[in-house]
Amino acid sequence: MGKPTGFIEYLRELPLDRSPLERTKDWKEFHVHMEDKKLRNQGARCMNCGVPFCHTGKLVSGMASGCPINNLIPEWNDLVYRGLWKEALDRLHKTNNFPEFTGRVCPAPCEGSCVLGINNPAVTIKNIEAAITDRGWEEGWVFADQPKVRTGKKVAVIGSGPAGLSCAEQLNKAGHTVTVFERADRPGGLLMYGIPNMKLDKKEVVLRRIKLMEDSGIKFICNATVGDNVEPQIFLKEYDATVFCTGATQPRDLPIEGRNLKGVHFAMELLTANTKAVLNGGAEHCPIHAKDKDVIVIGGGDTGTDCVGTSMRHGCKSIVQIEILPKPPLERTADNPWPEWPKTYKMDYGQEEAAAKFGADPRVYLTTVKKFNGDLAGNLQSIVTVEIKWEKNEKGQFIPKEQAGTEKVRPAQLVLLAMGFLGPEQALIKEIGLETDTRSNIKAEHENYTTSIKGVFAAGDCRRGQSLVVWAINEGRGAARECDRYLMGSTDLP
Amino acid sequence: MSVKLVSEVGVGTIAAGVAKAHADVVLISGYDGGTGSSPQTSITHAGLPWELGLAETHQTLVLNNLRSRIAVETDGQLKTGRDVIMAALLGAEEFGFATAPLVASGCIMMRVCHLNTCPVGVASQDPRLRARFAGKPEHIVNFMTFVATEVRELMAQLGFRTVEEMVGRTDRLEAQRAVTHWKAKGLDFSKILYSPDVGPEVGRFCSIKQDHGLDKSLDLTTLLGLAQPAIDRGEKVIAELPIKNVNRVVGTITSYEITKKLGAKGLPEDTIRFRFKGSAGQSFGAFVTRGMTLSIEGDANDYFGKGLSGGKLIVHPPANAGFKAEDNIIIGNVALYGATAGEIYVNGRAGERFAVRNSGVTAVVEGVGDHGCEYMTGGRVVVLGPTGRNFAAGMSGGIAYVLDQTGKFAEQANVSMVGLEKVESKAEIAELRAIIEHHVGYTGSARGKQVLAAFETFVPQFVKVFPKDYKRMLGCIEKAESQGLTGEEAIMAAFEENARDLSRVGGN
Repeated sequence: MGKPTGFIEYLRELPLDRSPLERTKDWKEFHVHMEDKKLRNQGARCMNCGVPFCHTGKLVSGMASGCPINNLIPEWNDLVYRGLWKEALDRLHKTNNFPEFTGRVCPAPCEGSCVLGINNPAVTIKNIEAAITDRGWEEGWVFADQPKVRTGKKVAVIGSGPAGLSCAEQLNKAGHTVTVFERADRPGGLLMYGIPNMKLDKKEVVLRRIKLMEDSGIKFICNATVGDNVEPQIFLKEYDATVFCTGATQPRDLPIEGRNLKGVHFAMELLTANTKAVLNGGAEHCPIHAKDKDVIVIGGGDTGTDCVGTSMRHGCKSIVQIEILPKPPLERTADNPWPEWPKTYKMDYGQEEAAAKFGADPRVYLTTVKKFNGDLAGNLQSIVTVEIKWEKNEKGQFIPKEQAGTEKVRPAQLVLLAMGFLGPEQALIKEIGLETDTRSNIKAEHENYTTSIKGVFAAGDCRRGQSLVVWAINEGRGAARECDRYLMGSTDLP
Repeated sequence: MSVKLVSEVGVGTIAAGVAKAHADVVLISGYDGGTGSSPQTSITHAGLPWELGLAETHQTLVLNNLRSRIAVETDGQLKTGRDVIMAALLGAEEFGFATAPLVASGCIMMRVCHLNTCPVGVASQDPRLRARFAGKPEHIVNFMTFVATEVRELMAQLGFRTVEEMVGRTDRLEAQRAVTHWKAKGLDFSKILYSPDVGPEVGRFCSIKQDHGLDKSLDLTTLLGLAQPAIDRGEKVIAELPIKNVNRVVGTITSYEITKKLGAKGLPEDTIRFRFKGSAGQSFGAFVTRGMTLSIEGDANDYFGKGLSGGKLIVHPPANAGFKAEDNIIIGNVALYGATAGEIYVNGRAGERFAVRNSGVTAVVEGVGDHGCEYMTGGRVVVLGPTGRNFAAGMSGGIAYVLDQTGKFAEQANVSMVGLEKVESKAEIAELRAIIEHHVGYTGSARGKQVLAAFETFVPQFVKVFPKDYKRMLGCIEKAESQGLTGEEAIMAAFEENARDLSRVGGN
C-alpha cells in the first residue's frame, strides 16, 4: 500500500465512455483509456486491507464474491500507484491468463466485495486491470512464449471459449502439445460470437490473443464440429487427455403462442450473425437486422443488454427490454449486505444508448410475455405482455402471478430471447458417454474436473452451468492443473 | 485487582504467586489476540493457546489450595458459547471478549489501528473517518446475547446449573477422536485434562474474597480519621506522624474519599498537610488529589507519587543528616509514573525511570537515574543535577530543564523525539526561577539555594529538553489562536494541522 490515506483523498473515478449517440454509429469499443496520473490515484485508493475480500472468489448467497481467479488485486493496485506497470502486469498474469478480456467484460465481483465498498464507492479494480493489460500490450510486454521442454503428451481441448483458451494456455505452458477444436469459423467461443464487438474488440483483442497462443505452439482447428465432421472417438484414441470446454449453449426458450413467427430469435442468433457480418465486411449484411423495427428484448441480463446495444447500432425504431424481476434498489438492501454481490440498479451501456436516443431506460420490470401476434404471412407484428407479481406458493417458493387487466399489446417486428441458458448441448456428451448431473451439466467436481471417463476432464459452463468469463478461466486453469497431474503424476500448475 | 499473564509454560507458578500476593483475578491471556497495531511478530509468535496456560494455572492453584481465593479469567479469541464452556471446564470462571464484539460493532480488521486511517472509524481520530463509524451498542448486546444463549444451551446439555459448577470439570471434556490429521496422532491431552486429586475441603473456584489488609493501612487506621474534618467541612488539617516502609500506598484511600465526595477538583491547596518522619514504603502518595500536601523528612521507596492527581509531595532528608542531599538518592525508582497533575519537590536524587509517562506534574529533583522522563507527554521537570542515560526517550510533550554543569547531558539524552535548547525567554526564565524558589521554600534545599544565589550565571547551564512534536503543536495552537480560535477549537485545529505534518515523529 503506497498511500495509507489514498482512499480519503481521492474519489472513485472512471474514464468517461464514448458518448452514447456517437458510439452507436460504429462497432468500435466504447471504453476509453484514462490518463496515467488519474489511474495512479485510483490505485492509491486501495487500502491494502488486513483482511481483504476482493481476491477471495467465493460464492456468497449463490453469487460470486471476490475474484474467482484470486487476482492479487491489492498488490497490483499498489504497483500501479507506484508507477511500476511492468511489475503490475507480471503480478496480474500470475493468476489471470487473459486480463484484457476480464478487464473489459467481467462484472467485477471484486468491486462488489471491496472493503472500501462498505461505506464508500469501491476501488476501480476492473478499470485498473484493463489499464495494466492494455499498457502491457502497447509496450510489448506480452509475447508468445514457447515452452522449453515438450512432454510429448497430446491433449485435446474441445471448445475455444474462455475456459478452453485458459486451459489450453496452461497445458501448453506445462509442455503438453495442445490442439483446440472449435466448431465456429473463428476461435474464441462466446468471446468471439457471444459478446459484441463494442464491448470486446474481435480483431484487436480476441484474435490478437489467439495469434499469440498459436505462436506459443497451440494448434486451433476451426469449423470442427465433433460428432459431425470430427469423429468423437478420436479423442479417446489419439489423445492422452481431453478437456471438454463446450459451454452451456442451450438457450432457454419461450414456448408460447406465436413462437414460430418470423422475427422471433434467440439472442445468440442475432449476436453471432452480427459479429460475423461485422468481421466479414459490415453489419448491414447481418441476416437478422433491427433497422427501422420495433425491437423487444426479453431478458434483463448482460446478453439482453448486448442485444439492446446491437439493435441500437442497427438503427431500430424503438426498443423495449422486458425483465420479469422487480427493478433493483439503488442501494444495497438489508438482506444483501457487503461482501455479497450488490443486487443494485445499474445502467449498462445498451440502456445508456437507448436512453440517449429515445429518452428513457428501455427496461420494463415485473413483466412477462403472453403471446406473439403475427400477420397472415407469419411475420411477427406485436407481442402481448402482462405484468406479474411475485407471490409465495404453498411450498414457500416465490412464483410469478399474472395480474389480470394489465395485458398490453406492444408493436414488435423483432423479438430477441435472452433468458439465459439451460446447460450444455447433450448430443456430444451422450455420444461419448459422459455422466451428467441433475442440471444436465457434465458431472465433475469443481477443483477436480475429472469426469466419469478416465482422461476426460470438463471445465467451464459445460460443467458449472452458465456463468461468468472469470469462472470459466478459473475452471480452465484448474482443469489444466488436474489434467497435468493426471498426465505427469504431479503438477506445478497453480 | 487483576493481573494479566501471558499463557506460557510455567504460568501456573506465576499465578500461584499472584494469588498469594492477594490479586482478586488472574487473567490467562492466549496467544492469538492482539490489536491491529501490534507487530506481526507479536501477533503470531508470542505466547501459547489459552487452553494450555489455563489448564496449568487452574491445576497449580488447586494443588496449592489457592484457587478458592482468586478468580481465573481467560481471553484470546474467545468467540462463541462453546469457547466459554471449554474455558470454564478447563478452569476459568471469567471470560474476556475483545475482537468479536469489536467486529460486531463494525471493525473489519484492517490492522491499521496505528495509522489513523481506520476506514470504518473504529480506531481513528480523523473526524471524517469517525463519521463513518456505524456501530451501535445494540450490536454488541446482540452478540453477547447470542454467546450467552449458546452457553446456556450447552450448560443444559451438560447438566450444569451454574458456571461455578463447571469450573475445572475436565472430566466432562474428551479429546475429539474424529480428528484424523496425521499430526494429531502424537497429541496427548492427558496433562491438560488432568484433575488434581485433592479433598473436598479444597475449593475449585473462587469462593473467598481476598484479604487485602486495607484495614491495617495507615490511611484507614490514622490518616482518614485525621482528615475527616477537612473532607466534611473543609477545615485545615495539619498532623505529624511517623512512617515506616511497611506503610505502602500512603494517602491514597484518604484521597479516594476526598474525590468521592468532591470530585476531581478536590480541596483548596494545602487543606490537608501531613508531615511524616521516617522511610515511606512503596507508592507513597499514589493518586493523591488536590488539597493534600504530604511531606517526608526521611526518604521514600519506589513508585513515589504514582498517578499523582493534583496533590503535592515533598521529600527532604532530616536536618541532621550526615550526607549531602544532592549527592544521594532519596526516592526509589519509577516515581511519578503516569502522574497527571500536582507538584513534587525532592531534595535529593531519584532512581531510574523518573517521571515516566508524566502528563502534567511539575517536579523538582536534584538528579535522576536512567530513562528519566521516558514517554512523558506533559508537565515540567526540573533536574538540578546529573541524569542517567536515555533521558527523554519517546518524550512527546512537556518540558524538562536539566542543569548541565559538566556539559555531558547531550550524550545522555535520547534525542530521537526531542530537541535540546537554551532557556532564553524572560517569561520562561522567570517561571523556572519560581519553580526552584518553591523547591527551596518547601525543602530548604542547599542545592536550590546555591542555584538561586547566582541564578543569572546558572541560567545558561540549563538545557531545555523540548519535544519536537510538542514544540510544533504549541506553535500551531498559537497560530490557531491568532486566527481567532479559542480553547478546544484551537487545540483541534492544531491537532488536525499536525496530524498531516510529515515531519511528525511520534504517533506513527
